[in-house]
Amino acid sequence: MSHDESLISDALEGSARAWEALVKRYEARVYNFSLRLMGSQTDALDLMQEVFLGVFRNLHRFRGESLFTTWMFRIAHNKAVDMNRRRRLFSEHDFYGQQDADDEDSDPFEQFSSDHPQQDPAVRFSEERSNNDINRYLAALSWDQRLIVELKVFQSHTFEEIAELQSIPANTAKTRFYSALKKIRGLMEQEHDM
Amino acid sequence: MTCKQTTALVVEYLESDLSAAQRSILEHHLRDCVHCRQELASVQQTQASLRSWQEEPVPQWNRIPASLQPTEKRHRSPTLFGWQWVPLAASFLLALAVLLNVQISTTPDGIVVAFGGAAGVSEAGVSEVDVTEQLARFEEQQQQLQEEQLQAFTVRMEERQDAANARLMETMVSQFGETTSRSLEQVIAYVEEQRERDLQVLQSSYQQLADSDYETIRSVQQLATYVQYQAGSR
Repeated sequence: MSHDESLISDALEGSARAWEALVKRYEARVYNFSLRLMGSQTDALDLMQEVFLGVFRNLHRFRGESLFTTWMFRIAHNKAVDMNRRRRLFSEHDFYGQQDADDEDSDPFEQFSSDHPQQDPAVRFSEERSNNDINRYLAALSWDQRLIVELKVFQSHTFEEIAELQSIPANTAKTRFYSALKKIRGLMEQEHDM
Repeated sequence: MTCKQTTALVVEYLESDLSAAQRSILEHHLRDCVHCRQELASVQQTQASLRSWQEEPVPQWNRIPASLQPTEKRHRSPTLFGWQWVPLAASFLLALAVLLNVQISTTPDGIVVAFGGAAGVSEAGVSEVDVTEQLARFEEQQQQLQEEQLQAFTVRMEERQDAANARLMETMVSQFGETTSRSLEQVIAYVEEQRERDLQVLQSSYQQLADSDYETIRSVQQLATYVQYQAGSR
């Protein structure tokens, strides 16, 4: 029995200590996931609490057929989508006020043109960015793009896994991801030129 | 292979999702085309920049769900709700006094407390009317006390909410220095709306609690009437 499974078993028998130990093992990952998606500490805490409450309520359903983290992040993904949906009820736009349906519909590859030779990006930018910068870039994306970037870049899912999680074709996931990266790169370039 | 076709395959190339044939064609094109090489490098660079995220520490939060908390920890904060036992305790004592037929009277020798109507005080010393009046006065006092406490509690909650809102706004502004005034207004409106709802929920919960206390007092009144009736019929 793995350490996770042992903690889960004890937590199911009512051990608060086991549950706390389980939460402490993964709360940083869930919190940072939430922070990148929601953009603020307050909302990240809200989402994290919802995620762990969901995990707790469904703990008896965890059969150990997948890794606990895989199962937990599936719940986290669904909770994040729910929370964003609720937020949208208060606003006609995303929480960040972004409305980039155009980005979703357009072909990101259209923007590529050999008439505009670029400098080598590796020379232009440094890779290191502060968390605030990264959050700002993510905030400029639509919710769907942000979620795909989170799943691909930070959670290291394959496009097939993302497609299954979001019930979309894998090609849509790839296009959406590529659009998101291009948008972020555009922002980085703008900042660099300023 | 054109540049546009190549760009469409960049993500798959980085994922190693291409067939050997597609990969070979793409790599051949990349050798000859500086723009496509730059495009590939740019995608890698952007992902690397995002991955420079430094893990943020988790702020303090309550990890244990209510159902796993020991009973004594589930009680509400004593600073806010500690006084709630007072009306219940008073009701209980009053009921006890009625059941034991406690009689208090003043005599030239001082105050006399008697149980069961045995000593010194006549049966008529405490009438049903007296008890009913006292209970009515007690209910009135409790009602007044609870209204005052509710008001003080609401004011305290408002102050706390204001402080929390101010902190939230500071965090928002520090995290999103370039937040537009429109989205800021949306956030403020949302927070204000949420605050109003929270206060309404708190007030209605409190009212329910107060109503249940009044119910207890009324039950005591009925009990007192019954006891007096029984005593009178003996």
